[in-house]
Amino acid sequence: MTVQVSSVVVGSAVVYLALVTMVGIWAAQRTTSAKDFFIAGQKLGWIVTAFATMSAAFSGFVFMGGPGLMYRVGVASLFICVPVGFTSGLLCWVVGKRLRLLAGLQEIYTVPDVILCRYQSRLASGLAAGAIVIGTIAYLGAQLQALGILVETVFGTRALFGPWSLLGAMILGSIVVVFYATVGGMVAGVYTDLLQGGLMVAAAVVVFWYCLQAGDGLEAMSLSIADSDMFGPGFLNPFGTLSVKTAIGFFFVFAVGVLGQPHMLHKFFMLENPRALKWLPLVIGLTQSACILIWLGIGLAVPALVSRGLLSPLVNPDDAAPQFLLSFTPGALAGLVVAGVLAAIMSTADSFVNIGSAAIVRDVPKAFGRQIRNELLWGRIVVVGLASIAVIFAFLYRDLIALVGTFAFGTFAAALAPAVAVGLNWRRVSGVAASASIMTGVVVNLGLEFLSKQVVFEWLPDAPLARGALPSATALAASFSVLLVVSWLWPADPKLGLDPDVEFVMDV
Amino acid sequence: MKVARPFGDVGVIRRLALIFLAVGSSVIVVCCCYSGIVADLSMVVFVMGFPTALIGLAVARNGRIGPLTVPLGVLALILEGCGIGIFLLRDQNSLELWFGGVPLAAALLVYGLWFGPLLLVGLAYGMTFDRWELRESDLRRFEERRCGSGKDAEK
Repeated sequence: MTVQVSSVVVGSAVVYLALVTMVGIWAAQRTTSAKDFFIAGQKLGWIVTAFATMSAAFSGFVFMGGPGLMYRVGVASLFICVPVGFTSGLLCWVVGKRLRLLAGLQEIYTVPDVILCRYQSRLASGLAAGAIVIGTIAYLGAQLQALGILVETVFGTRALFGPWSLLGAMILGSIVVVFYATVGGMVAGVYTDLLQGGLMVAAAVVVFWYCLQAGDGLEAMSLSIADSDMFGPGFLNPFGTLSVKTAIGFFFVFAVGVLGQPHMLHKFFMLENPRALKWLPLVIGLTQSACILIWLGIGLAVPALVSRGLLSPLVNPDDAAPQFLLSFTPGALAGLVVAGVLAAIMSTADSFVNIGSAAIVRDVPKAFGRQIRNELLWGRIVVVGLASIAVIFAFLYRDLIALVGTFAFGTFAAALAPAVAVGLNWRRVSGVAASASIMTGVVVNLGLEFLSKQVVFEWLPDAPLARGALPSATALAASFSVLLVVSWLWPADPKLGLDPDVEFVMDV
Repeated sequence: MKVARPFGDVGVIRRLALIFLAVGSSVIVVCCCYSGIVADLSMVVFVMGFPTALIGLAVARNGRIGPLTVPLGVLALILEGCGIGIFLLRDQNSLELWFGGVPLAAALLVYGLWFGPLLLVGLAYGMTFDRWELRESDLRRFEERRCGSGKDAEK
């Protein structure tokens, strides 16, 4: 089925991009210091923080990658997103309070700052910064890939530019992201997140309704899918098309790994007041769940419509969301939703360019005992470089958005979750244990991912994993294991003691 | 190497949480390297328990979790129950049992693992916040410390 590019959709997308650009310019006038650039001046109320956290977490991964993955593997893909039912509470209970209190007592702008403060170890914070740079490039790459596919579909560039269309579309989209991230930093990021968060929630709920309408309800869609030769009843079984290890591995990485995601942890530093934490989990949980409806809705509607012959089978599963929006929703709504999806992608991409630039400009020099003089200027320069590398990475990786995103999420999870989550709650964890854990997470994740995917070096063995086991899940578990064992065998030296502010925060 | 007091000075709840995390993470690594029903089921059990163990480690005060005992207990039951339930239904592609428009296994995933904890966790956090998570006395001490360090007092 050929999709006609609607002028209403294109117009909506252009209006949205212009609006975002204006927010970037407005924010630039309010960004006068590194504190403004990296943590929005630590002046955010809980509503803005809730929407910023939700927006940063949700991205092209959810809006396009999710339905695409579900088209390929069935409801098993939902193991990635169902943890939103409790991850907001997990975050606030395990790390949120302590992160915010620490940021109120010391100059904390980044996750490596937290690690340096907690462990008094430049090695641990330097390793964390390195892990963040790697994960940022991958995560940003996934967002820019999603952006590219959406721009391609909305503006119809595939027919015009052939195989170079995706790269061109990614570059075009990344220019807008880089612009408002560069000039406005995190101030631009969080206020566009507020706009984007509202848009995303509204768009997701409305699209879910249209999915139910197009598919005649959940039961009818499920029956169509189950009766089809292309999908079958296994599509609807959580362990039907994916092995238990893959599905549960997804759940593990996305449930526990959220504790190591810098773009989410970062938001706690920005809260104006620790009391603002009180209703944060409820608001984040509800808004995230509203957004996930699009994954469930399109994920069931598109296979059902393909089964009934109302939609052509997809060549690229990541086309599921754009195809449904452009074919089964009114032009004005499709335009709103496209803007919402652009919002999701850009809010996450913006968070990551800022976090990545902070890691390079602040955290890596700190690990070597140095400080760059003009962090604000260099932060902006690095943003451009990071976006460029991310575009190249995504273009070369060439896999589904959700799988690129899973690799990135898993990199952060395996490297940072144990050191941050356990370290802020157990005094016995030392800098040695944290460093060993971070190193284990990065090396195991990258190593297993490389061995699983590479085809160039035939003499290299396959990854020593059982069929279906995820490299990122293995790395996350290994990282926890190393942290706990090393802490047991080589505990923190009680004579050296913790930083008094850390001692206080861990006592609260 | 000091192994005489493996956990340091922590209460019962935190000790249990740390044991679960240590055993669970090691078991998960092993399960990722071996195939078979035992490996699969073990992975389900320990993965589903991980979030509750981490929360228990974080929220315990003086060996207790106070008003969070019931919510965390219910959370653990929901996660483990749904995880094991989905595992037991893994070979059944039959469409005889339905709930909420989807087959039973998918219903456990969507309505159990996703919707089940949604209000429970958000409300438990908000309603116990002032009593347990960040008490007035904690905030007073924080403000005193913050003012003492020369930073402006927070609103």
